[in-house]
Amino acid sequence: MSQIKTGKFSIDELENVQITIGSVVGALEQEMDSEELDIGPSPCPGIKDLRNWDFNLLSRYEPVYTPVCDQCCYCTFGKCDLSKNKEGACGIDMSSHQAREFLLRVITGAAAHSAHGRHLLHYLIEKYGPDHPIDVGASNLKTPIIQLVTGMKPETIGDLQKALEYVEEQLTQLLATIQVGQEGAALDFESKALHGGMIDHVGMEVSDVAQISCLGMPKAEENTGYAELGMGCIDSEKPMVLTIGHNVSAVTHIMDYIGDHGLEDEVELGGLCCTSIDMSRYKSEGAHDSKSKVIGPIAKELKFIRSGVPDVIVVDEQCVRADVLREAKELHMPVIATNEKIMYGLRDRSDDDVEDIVSDLVSGKEPGALLLDFDKVGEVATRVAMEVAPIRSENNMTALPSDDEFNELINSCVHCQLCENTCPTNLPISDAFRLAEEGDMSGLVDLHDPCVGCGKCETVCPKDIPILNTIEKSSQQAIREEKGKIRVGRGQISDPEIREEGVNLVLGTTPGIVAMVGCSNYAEGTQDIYKIADEMLQRNYIVVVSGCAAMDLGMYKNKDGETLYEKYPGKFTKGNLLNVGSCVSNSHIASTAIKVAAIFAQRKISGNYEEVADYIMNRIGATGLAWGAYSQKASAIASGCNRLGIPVIVGPHGSKYRRALIGRPYAEDKWNVYDARNGDVIPIASVPEFLLTTAGTVEEVMPMIAKNCIRPSDNNMGRMIKLTHYIELSKKYLGVLPEDWHNFVRSEQDLPLAKRDELLNILEKEHGWEIDWDKKKIISGPSMKFDVSVQPTNLERLCKGQEV
Amino acid sequence: MVDATKNTVITTTWGTTNARPVQPAVVAKVIKKAKRPLLITGGDVLDEDILKRAVEIGKKGIQIAATGNSMTGFVDEESVFAKYINAHSLALYLSDSGWKGLDGHGNYDLIVALGHKKYYINQVLSGVRNFTKLKSISIERNYIQNATMSFGKLNKETHLKALDELIDNL
Repeated sequence: MSQIKTGKFSIDELENVQITIGSVVGALEQEMDSEELDIGPSPCPGIKDLRNWDFNLLSRYEPVYTPVCDQCCYCTFGKCDLSKNKEGACGIDMSSHQAREFLLRVITGAAAHSAHGRHLLHYLIEKYGPDHPIDVGASNLKTPIIQLVTGMKPETIGDLQKALEYVEEQLTQLLATIQVGQEGAALDFESKALHGGMIDHVGMEVSDVAQISCLGMPKAEENTGYAELGMGCIDSEKPMVLTIGHNVSAVTHIMDYIGDHGLEDEVELGGLCCTSIDMSRYKSEGAHDSKSKVIGPIAKELKFIRSGVPDVIVVDEQCVRADVLREAKELHMPVIATNEKIMYGLRDRSDDDVEDIVSDLVSGKEPGALLLDFDKVGEVATRVAMEVAPIRSENNMTALPSDDEFNELINSCVHCQLCENTCPTNLPISDAFRLAEEGDMSGLVDLHDPCVGCGKCETVCPKDIPILNTIEKSSQQAIREEKGKIRVGRGQISDPEIREEGVNLVLGTTPGIVAMVGCSNYAEGTQDIYKIADEMLQRNYIVVVSGCAAMDLGMYKNKDGETLYEKYPGKFTKGNLLNVGSCVSNSHIASTAIKVAAIFAQRKISGNYEEVADYIMNRIGATGLAWGAYSQKASAIASGCNRLGIPVIVGPHGSKYRRALIGRPYAEDKWNVYDARNGDVIPIASVPEFLLTTAGTVEEVMPMIAKNCIRPSDNNMGRMIKLTHYIELSKKYLGVLPEDWHNFVRSEQDLPLAKRDELLNILEKEHGWEIDWDKKKIISGPSMKFDVSVQPTNLERLCKGQEV
Repeated sequence: MVDATKNTVITTTWGTTNARPVQPAVVAKVIKKAKRPLLITGGDVLDEDILKRAVEIGKKGIQIAATGNSMTGFVDEESVFAKYINAHSLALYLSDSGWKGLDGHGNYDLIVALGHKKYYINQVLSGVRNFTKLKSISIERNYIQNATMSFGKLNKETHLKALDELIDNL
């Protein structure tokens, strides 16, 4: 009997008859059973299936809870005060509730990415058909995360639906455990949070692989083009369409409309948040520069809207402020909502005539429209911008005060400091106003960059001062100078790049991968990201960026006028800076580690999560940094990395995620692994020291990154390189030799060459190690020995002689 | 005498308890009474005026857990015992009676916070408040709700005077 496959079929005898088979029940399972795919022990794992691995991680990395709220108000028994780890009416204690709260953040973020993916898939399948092939560039392992987690090996965008169905079921099961009267153990909530993180990465990969395959985005290209970046790069003389959000599908129709009608020089198109990044990737395949501009992350939303520059705003989903319509209405800036997730109460005009919609928006009869027909979005957004621009210009529509108004506002401040108390970053607003009263605007200008643009200060001001507007008014020069460049997102790392670089990563001769991701809720300002990336790149780390972090580090230039993207090339090799793309492109960062296990180490991938995660944790020196993490999505991304054994550092605001996973280096029994060759238990250094933690300052974070790229598999050369950076960064930024540097020394060959004598001396005098000074060798002292062929694993079942 | 308890405005709450506003002399008394007090400094301690006072406190024999990059301020201070530690890790270790402390002689019975970002130290102390019996005192410029006791929100001048008074009473 012949096999029925998906696709379109015609029957010769019957004219005009075509049968479409969307999916065949059991086809995927059949494929997974075939010899082609050697499936590991956990394809499509449910909540319990990787629990042992999670408990393995959690036994070393303990949850540290820092509640944002001591109370639980989930059910009508409460609310309950859980402070001091008390139990509530349902029996849940503070630890378990905090773990539940963290899980809720993770699955909220995962749902945002996955629902984004579902929407994109609907759109792309309708436009390109389910049989459109997945094409991510030079890669045999096209969907590493999907394959690792589910065991599936999708070939077409239609195949991605199965992976997404799995994601959606898991998310529902996880969400159900939030309900009162379900899980009671903190540790099991933690395992579920890690499960949610893993699921998130599947959802992200579905989203980005689908759009890369269909929308002409770069496919694992080393040298992509550039996009202009920053508020200062927008030509305010032209009609401007501003897009905000993460889902590029509707926006591509605006880009096509502008292109098809030859309006590139007439209309300015720029975006905020990840939609703008994906706009810059759209049809940029082949090293083309972007046709649109990237304005910045969410911190710029309110600031840019109030500047009055945009003439029409198009929103889709995620990271869009809830008050966009209210703010835009004040400035006669029509808003077009293009996604069911954000509709702002606007009338659905999807079936209306374009002329009517344009007329209603230009005249101000309606403040905006819900428009789910994307072809209409393209035309309406562009035409409205062009027609409303002269009207708005004539009426000088800006929220920023005039010079006279500005002076009046400055002098009306009573310095009650309520604004500072309310400011999430606790900025010195009152002091800045005091300086401004004396004619010195420097204090206000200094606030422009670190201000996250939330506007909370204005809501508590007893004098109703529009504080944000005064900051922006005084910062006009700085804003005009905000002109940077971002390298267009490249998508995955290619298989040839992994083949070339894998050995350096596993042996440690490339000191590590620093993945800088996340949003703009920084400790000090956007320059934080630039400083960290530049330092690590100079030290030959591979720096991979995505999303808002990718934007913010492109805002700054060195003394030669170059951004980091222009200074450092974009190949996956030491000392290179790679922008993978938008928020959902974060999946390519995790998938790089999976590819190293698959391509370099020839590990089986399909459905083999635990073994691959174990490989990554013990061998690949990668550290994530979400320095400005703000949303639930960032906690989901971090948790997905954590389950793969990749540690993540978040900035000080990240402490509000409520929980960290931190090891205790002094608890010696926690820092052992098996040697897979014989099952012997061997001690390792206490790295990674955490799976998720915070750092207080940029200076603190740099040695933390270097230390947490150290891995048990480092060879002597690799360990020497990593230790050199750890010691140098600690001395440079903290002023001291690290307290624990000796814990990473296995033999004299691990010591930094230039400091070998000095360090041997310290080892002898301060730590009591025995040194043979004639041979400059360590005779005794280290708690672990270096063995080039050791095979570190946390999984006893992988040891020789164990049943697999 | 400085009034360090003014302006304890609460904009959002963590729960049913908030730090007790406290005067510098009382802080000094509590520190003196403690067997193993620990001063935890953050990156903002590097402000010249604050650092000078943190060093003075250190010279009174109080160990310093230098979080963030605050260690750079104590490198040349030979009469001060200061060691770098990450603030979040410290929150975990403080809850562990088996931790040997920065000097290898055991855990602490009182922590005092200075030079931190308000939102960050509030979170760290939220963990300490809920999962340990440790008492904490904030001598920051801002009112830190999750400490056991805290100065109010002070202007810089008052803050420095409050720290001076505390040091004089130690």
